[in-house]
Amino acid sequence: MSDKETNAPSTDPDGTMIFVPTPSQAPPSETVGPIFWLRQNLFYSFFSSAITLLGIYFLFVTITGLYTWGVAEAVWTAESRRDCLDQSPHGACWAGIRTWFNSIIYGRYPDAEQWRIKLGFGLLVIWLLPIWIERIKARAWIGISAVLIYPYLAGYLFAGGERGVFMQFAFIASVTTLVANWLHVALTLLTGRGLPDWINRVCGLGNSTEKTQRIAFFSTLLLLFVAFYATFAGWEVAQVKTNLWGGLFLTFVIAGIGITFSLPAGILLALARRSELPAIRILAIGFIELVRSVPLISVLFMAVTMVPLFLPQGVELNKLAQAIVGVCLFFAAYMAETVRGGLQIVPIGQTEAAKSLGLNYWKSMYLIVLPQALKVMIPNIVSNFIALFKDTTLVSIIGLYDMLLMLKAIGRNSSWIGLHHEPLVFAAAIYFVICFAMSKYSQYLETVVGEGANQSR
Amino acid sequence: MTTIPTKTDAVDTPPAKARFTKESIKGLIYQFAAVGIVVFIGWYLYDNVSRNLENLGMASGFRFLDIAAGFDISWSIVPYEPGDNYGRVYLVGITNTLIVSAMAIIASTGLGFVIGVSRLSRNWLVSRLASVYVEVVRNTPALIQVLFWFLAVFSILPRPKNGIDVAGLGLLQINNRGIYFPKGLPQEGFGFTLIALALAIGAAVAIGIWARRRRILTGQRFPVVPTVLAVVILVPSLVFLLTGSPLGWEFPVLQGFNLSGGVSFPPALCAVFIALSIYHAAYIGEAVRAGILSVSPGQAEASFSLGLKPNWTMRMIVVPQALRAIVPLLISQWMNTVKGSSLAVAVGFPEITALFLQTSLNQVGYAIEIVAMVMLFYCTVSISISLLLNYYNKRVQLKER
Amino acid sequence: MTQATVTQPESTGQNVSADIVIEMKGVNKWYDTFHALKNIDLKVHRGERIVICGPSGSAKSTLIRCINRLEQYQQGEIFVHGELVEGSAKSVDPSINNVGMVFQQFNLFPHLTVLENCILAPMWVKKLPRHKAEEVAMNFLERVHIPDQALKYPKQLSGGQQQRVAIARSLCMNPDILLFDEPTSALDPEMISEVLDVMTELAATGITMICVTHEMGFARQVADRVVFMDSGEIVEEQPPETFFDHPRMDRTKLFLSQILGH
Repeated sequence: MSDKETNAPSTDPDGTMIFVPTPSQAPPSETVGPIFWLRQNLFYSFFSSAITLLGIYFLFVTITGLYTWGVAEAVWTAESRRDCLDQSPHGACWAGIRTWFNSIIYGRYPDAEQWRIKLGFGLLVIWLLPIWIERIKARAWIGISAVLIYPYLAGYLFAGGERGVFMQFAFIASVTTLVANWLHVALTLLTGRGLPDWINRVCGLGNSTEKTQRIAFFSTLLLLFVAFYATFAGWEVAQVKTNLWGGLFLTFVIAGIGITFSLPAGILLALARRSELPAIRILAIGFIELVRSVPLISVLFMAVTMVPLFLPQGVELNKLAQAIVGVCLFFAAYMAETVRGGLQIVPIGQTEAAKSLGLNYWKSMYLIVLPQALKVMIPNIVSNFIALFKDTTLVSIIGLYDMLLMLKAIGRNSSWIGLHHEPLVFAAAIYFVICFAMSKYSQYLETVVGEGANQSR
Repeated sequence: MTTIPTKTDAVDTPPAKARFTKESIKGLIYQFAAVGIVVFIGWYLYDNVSRNLENLGMASGFRFLDIAAGFDISWSIVPYEPGDNYGRVYLVGITNTLIVSAMAIIASTGLGFVIGVSRLSRNWLVSRLASVYVEVVRNTPALIQVLFWFLAVFSILPRPKNGIDVAGLGLLQINNRGIYFPKGLPQEGFGFTLIALALAIGAAVAIGIWARRRRILTGQRFPVVPTVLAVVILVPSLVFLLTGSPLGWEFPVLQGFNLSGGVSFPPALCAVFIALSIYHAAYIGEAVRAGILSVSPGQAEASFSLGLKPNWTMRMIVVPQALRAIVPLLISQWMNTVKGSSLAVAVGFPEITALFLQTSLNQVGYAIEIVAMVMLFYCTVSISISLLLNYYNKRVQLKER
Repeated sequence: MTQATVTQPESTGQNVSADIVIEMKGVNKWYDTFHALKNIDLKVHRGERIVICGPSGSAKSTLIRCINRLEQYQQGEIFVHGELVEGSAKSVDPSINNVGMVFQQFNLFPHLTVLENCILAPMWVKKLPRHKAEEVAMNFLERVHIPDQALKYPKQLSGGQQQRVAIARSLCMNPDILLFDEPTSALDPEMISEVLDVMTELAATGITMICVTHEMGFARQVADRVVFMDSGEIVEEQPPETFFDHPRMDRTKLFLSQILGH
């Protein structure tokens, strides 16, 4: 059958026949459905079937074993390890983790002051929340303020004590910024207009120059600043020395500072590496290659032993600060390589076009090249962040009580001696969940950014 | 008669470039500033360091390498006794690091290729299990994995008294002090076997070259692999037997609470080796997968339509192209493995960071010198690996020209 | 195969014998639940030159890819040289049916020279010694008019040259049937004619050709039969004069007006 003939006589005047397309049919039942899928994907050959059966057996043994150990026979409440073993000799002794849970999260931070940690991180979430709300304008500024200004707020909340002049200023400034941000968010959500708009309305500056509007805006901020200064200048919390900081809290502090430092520093280093000025380029290359050749542990050891030697008389840095310096410098170098990869992908025509429009070096970087480079590099940047987060565990080796060291310390406590497996499994689980979430988020970001880039089609 | 100057004379030569444009002056200023800042910081630090060292009464200089080290090292290929100088300690650290790294590189590369290919398998279960492996291993800190293998696995093993004897012949004994093998003691006449082995390897290479020429000329294929294996295994073995089997064995024997004799791999070494291999195999697996996926499917389709069987297609078309993408990632993972061996600090295996940067520094001071020597080692390894990478890239590029 | 003299190829199949080399009976293919090929019936005789055309999405490529097993079909039967085509190109010895293919994206092996591309299969599948394989390869490279490029790498050639190398490469295996999957669609306009010329010369040699293409001039000049497909089924099959001048179906007429209109 090569031509489709219909029974109806042709209705076209020029003698062609009407073509009736065949309707689509469902595929034959043997070729779809779960049994077909099994045959295609698991049992398509003898070898494959054997491996599938082996795999199923292996999975079964592993999962039931883990379940038995971790859930079915586990002990959730006990006084000591001996008690655990008495209750269930082959089960996991989660009671140990539960007993020490507070220390695992907060380290040796005094119980009475732990609300400050919760407040600090809560304020971070609140600060960053508007970034996900599409209607708010100037979200980039909110984000940047989170990176540059929030640390002072959190820093004071965590450390406490007396505030010097600089710290006073920074603390009040960050409170002001947070309140201003949220004023802006609230106004936008309620009225559709943001803070700058409302300031202009209230002062009747709708038609004034941008300069006047800016002056008005910053004057408002200044007013807020003064108001908060009056309210909070005397407000203090007790000092908590950094050697009491520990647990997951400490891990987040180190990782947070490392992440916020490494990206901008990495960008600067990458730009320096591509610089046409040979001295700057050589310095950048030397630093990057040197740092990337050595493991982080050695950098931490070096920081701890050598930083005291480098500092002038009378200046001391505590161990936490030394470790943070090491981590920041280390990951700045890795981030530099990642950013450099992104910069290489941006075609040179972009820089040329920017130049021909009259943009100088820094403007063309900031407006044209870096946005494109960073977009492409998001997955690699996030994987650097994940690596940073994982590597914070290394500070446990130099004696900082991050979450891993706190967990290990349980096994050396006299009541819980020998408890090694459960803390490690717990640590692994926590890190896995956080890192896995970060990598999934990066995949999500990739699709969002990809959509944006393709919208111009 | 004067020559009439042609119009081109005046126009041809372009004007000389101005040497000191505004741009270049700005550039020079930046550079001077940058170098100046670095030099200033360097001088400032140097000043602080010398003053601090003086105040602390710490000496400096590399003569410390002659000082005798009073501690013992738990495992070493290079012979070492307490009382050997710190120069030897440095050597032990270097060799230990290189050994454990080499072992881990070989194991992780092999395992990594298996994982990478498994992720692309048609069998759904196999590819999912490989994915789970990669996700779990990559999202858990390496330090936790090393500690896991050390604490969780090796602490479960029984004491030497009740050790596990795999296959019951004393060939492989496992207990919580380590893994033990018998040590081969070459006796007189063993040299012949070694010579035979060297000759056999030479013959194998010659056979390979000859077989390839023959195939090019006549199209006939020679079973190279079985022949080479036979030669390399049978010939030295024959010589060995004919010279009276000159190889003694020192078996690890239970003495007191421990096994002595034989070759032992302490739990710290095993933990670092296993953890590093598993950890980097995940990354290598991803690199392999990315490399194979980077070869367009049209290549395999074209190859099939020419009649080439699937495994030949893989060997001659897909793998060479995939390797181009895989090898750079592979080599950088090898560098990461060498750096990762420093995790031995957490379990007490004496590689260079633990032995030199931690133990020796605590014992003898000389922080700057020790730090410099450790960095020298890692930088040398890093440069060698970069050179390897560049060499590979050049070779691969020429072929594509 | 007749001598490669460049003659005007007869359009009414004087080279066409009565042997049926490819037979497709009631072939249906689904991608998941999407019905891609619907009830395909097609007979191809030895030496026949078939052009398959149709709008994009009509599954023309899918059809010919089922013949050499790059795609699998779920219902119906395909016979090549009397043997049933089943399984996938990956799992069964693909050289049984001696069907060659030229791809839209050329798919030359970038890490091998032009000459090495051509001698690879003859050396490894037919076990020819190298010098014999090179003879055969240079012969075909001359037939496609680029013997001087033999030692270059694919990246150094233009698109038209690469596609001609791809044709020569397939010919080195002496296939009885040659499938073309939109061979000129990825070429710049000025290179299309050099490839079509080679294909026209090839058509005169008596090889069975099935060509998926939009090049209607080529179809008119070379084809013994034009097959028009739409939405996975064959709408009409005619010799070229009838097809272009007196199409029977309105759908065909619509397609022709769109494609020949500009």
